[in-house]
Amino acid sequence: MGAIVEIEDVTKDYPLGKLVVQALRGVSLRIDKGEFTTIAGPSGSGKTTLLNLIGCVDIPSSGAVRIAGNMTSNMSDAALTNLRLQKLGFIFQSFNLIPVLDVFQNVEFPLLLQGDLSKGERAKRVEDILGRVGLTDQIKQRPNELSGGQRQRVAIARALVTNPAIVLADEPTANLDSVTGNTIIELMKELNATAETTFIFSTHDPKVMRQATRVIRLVDGQIVHDGKGTEGVIEATDPALARREEE
Amino acid sequence: MGSLLVSMRVVFLIAMRNLTSHRVKSLIVGSIMAFGTMLLVVGTSLLDSVEESMEKVVTASLTGQLQIYSTEGRDELSLFGGLTASRPDIGEIEDFSKLKELVEPIDNVEAIVPMGITIATGAGGNDIDSTLTELRRAVDKRDAKEMKKLEGQIVQLASLLEDEYEYRAKITSDTEKLERDIEVLQRVQEGSFWEDFDLNANARLMYLDTKLAPLAADGKLFFLRLLGTDPQLFKTSFDRFEIDKGQMIPPGKRGVLLSRRAHERFLKHRVARQLDRIKREIEVEGRSLEDDELLQGRVRRLSRQYRRILFQLDVAETAKLETMLREKLDDDAPDDDLAKLVEKFLLVDSQNFDDRYTYFYDNIAPMIELYRVNVGETVTVQAFTRRGYLKAMNVKIWGTFQFKGIEDSDLAGVVNLTDMLTFRELYGKMTDAQRAELESLREEVGVEAVARDDAEDALFGGDAEVMEDGAVGELTDGFDEFEGVDLLERDERKTRAGELTYKQEELDSGLALNAAVILKDRERIAQTKRAIEAAIAKEGLKLRVVDWQEAAGIVGQLIIVIRLVLYAAIFIIFLVALVIINNSMVMATMERVSEIGTMRAIGAPRAFVLVLFMLETLALGLIAGSIGGLTGALLVEAAGYYGIPAFNEIVRFIFAGPYLYPHVTLGNVLLAAAVIFIVSVIATLYPAIVATRIQPVVAMRGRD
Repeated sequence: MGAIVEIEDVTKDYPLGKLVVQALRGVSLRIDKGEFTTIAGPSGSGKTTLLNLIGCVDIPSSGAVRIAGNMTSNMSDAALTNLRLQKLGFIFQSFNLIPVLDVFQNVEFPLLLQGDLSKGERAKRVEDILGRVGLTDQIKQRPNELSGGQRQRVAIARALVTNPAIVLADEPTANLDSVTGNTIIELMKELNATAETTFIFSTHDPKVMRQATRVIRLVDGQIVHDGKGTEGVIEATDPALARREEE
Repeated sequence: MGSLLVSMRVVFLIAMRNLTSHRVKSLIVGSIMAFGTMLLVVGTSLLDSVEESMEKVVTASLTGQLQIYSTEGRDELSLFGGLTASRPDIGEIEDFSKLKELVEPIDNVEAIVPMGITIATGAGGNDIDSTLTELRRAVDKRDAKEMKKLEGQIVQLASLLEDEYEYRAKITSDTEKLERDIEVLQRVQEGSFWEDFDLNANARLMYLDTKLAPLAADGKLFFLRLLGTDPQLFKTSFDRFEIDKGQMIPPGKRGVLLSRRAHERFLKHRVARQLDRIKREIEVEGRSLEDDELLQGRVRRLSRQYRRILFQLDVAETAKLETMLREKLDDDAPDDDLAKLVEKFLLVDSQNFDDRYTYFYDNIAPMIELYRVNVGETVTVQAFTRRGYLKAMNVKIWGTFQFKGIEDSDLAGVVNLTDMLTFRELYGKMTDAQRAELESLREEVGVEAVARDDAEDALFGGDAEVMEDGAVGELTDGFDEFEGVDLLERDERKTRAGELTYKQEELDSGLALNAAVILKDRERIAQTKRAIEAAIAKEGLKLRVVDWQEAAGIVGQLIIVIRLVLYAAIFIIFLVALVIINNSMVMATMERVSEIGTMRAIGAPRAFVLVLFMLETLALGLIAGSIGGLTGALLVEAAGYYGIPAFNEIVRFIFAGPYLYPHVTLGNVLLAAAVIFIVSVIATLYPAIVATRIQPVVAMRGRD
């Protein structure tokens, strides 16, 4: 499998008044196509910053970020926008659906921006993906008429409708109850298996973490764990939970 | 490109949905836009209508579409009067016929009308003067009965004046002259003055003329702004012109037409004029005698004018009116003489005004001289010529005229019409006939023209024999200025004034001060103006061409001032609207940061966000603008259907008539649309740019 994300010795600094906060300090990473990767770590560890760099919504202070072969630090805003449109799908913690559009229109939105498909093709693609996330009956509803889980399914459908190379999810289950959260992760995993889309998501939730095929743990802007298992990661991330699980 | 079109659809969809989902914001911004548009449509429509009706009235009554006048004068042409009361110096058009030949063949020129304005004073004589004229006529006809009647009237006048002068004597320290005046008044009341009156008629009449007449105040001097023109051509060229009383100056005849307004306002009996004014203020301006202090003050002053009625009554009329008024007022107090009765009668109130107004015109007006100058009369007018000497001449008043649609406007009263030849004489330009007469007089008397430089030599030098020694003595001893002048011939000379004639060539060739150009198609003013200017330049004439608005003077400029004020008001309103729209759009942007960030993260370019914001405001502008524009148009059309009444003289003047019937043009609506479009774009530009700067990274931050 080829690398879809290549990160080499990346640092990211944020000015904070007169101070400079180093969010990432020399992170190197490679994620292959089709991986189902989670980025874990306590608040402020730099996991959102890392996701932002991978999601091409930010560029590194130093080092190289290559997404699907494109070096992001050299790219213009317009080129980055286009890269996001063509290669990436986003799932947000707060779902971030466009409130004035219905389910169908929200999912169709990135296709309209791409402008490659005819109306019929778009409709087929949207209906198909909505079928896969189980929202065929809610197609004409507005986001405010849906439950949290349904909204996140719409967001997943929107992220996947363009057949992106990578789907990025920032705490996708944080605003959902555990049952719904599980279903969402199951769904993501299933789509990962069938569509061969690379999934990269950040989470605090050990149950979610356990679903991942690879867990990367950040502390203070550095990778402290990168492996298939969650061993030691849950304890470090959420000691209380780890104790409850042991009991 | 295809993708752009497709994404436009979703932009439009989002924009519309945003408008409906943020109802309060849309409503506030939309209301402001609608109000602004409505105001713009109403304001510009009204103004255009005012300008249009004013243009119609101004061009069709006096100016024509274009005016031509000299470049040599110091002042600018101002046909409806400027800021100064004096006669402006607008230069001269030396030979009108030359200009006529030049301009008439130009395309789109219907006619060119010569004009010239001068200010003349007319002397209709005072109350005593007119009574004396009648007395002179009666003496002439040896009509003893009429003489007796007039004697009574003059005695009564003298008695009334004596009361007044005695009252004056009480309050002044200079009693010497007053005593002499009172002596005259008493002398006239004595029976001996009237005995053998017909035998000494000339001497007695002279005494009355020179001693009594000057004592009556109110010398009937009146000002006439006289517009000399070609009366027949004027009548056909200015279709608002119409005869009110009397007749048009007949072709080839000389004379004057008074403006109805001037006749009613300046030449009418003061009591009648005041009554008219009160009536107008009640009916037109909606004032009430019950509580309006201004009107009540007017009534008090009116009642003190009773003498002006008494002065004009003869003995029989005095007795008759006394009986009538006693009955009318139900007054049987023996102390109340006619003066008291008239004073009481004129002290009108809200209950009896209409009744007394009618009574005045039905019963009192026939006994008095209602106008100082009547249609058909010949009056003597005087004017300072451009060289500064006083020129007096008799002119016949053929009738009164008015301009349709502005009968009641001050605009209508600004000029009185006369023929070009009368104008030229008053202006100080001699006619050919006069020049010939003067020439023959010179030959007869043996006067030589002397150049200014030689004048001193000619007058005082040894060579010149201007006057023989003996002649001086003859002139100074026992000089009688009236010798050889038959005063009784006065009326006859006046009658002849109406018979004076002229030929069209005389009128055309010669001086004019300005010329009105009437166009066939008034839309092509600018084009025709250029053509005339070119023709004038080609001939090397020192003349300029101005459009009606400029030529009208202060009237034309008034509309420009009103327009500026309106535009300033609208500018301020839209400035406020701009700030409010801008603010609420910035607020909306702030509320939608996460939504916009999401769109940007998903892959929407900056342009998408820009268009989205612009479209939202433009769509709102379109909807609100349509509603506002439509409301404005309906308001204007409704106003146009019912007419907006001019509630006072100033507004009537601005409306150029008693009502304004405004209407909307496509231009008004398009202007409003353009303004609302520009305001929308400017108001949204800043928030839209702020929105495009929202980074996609904000979408990644959770809302919680």
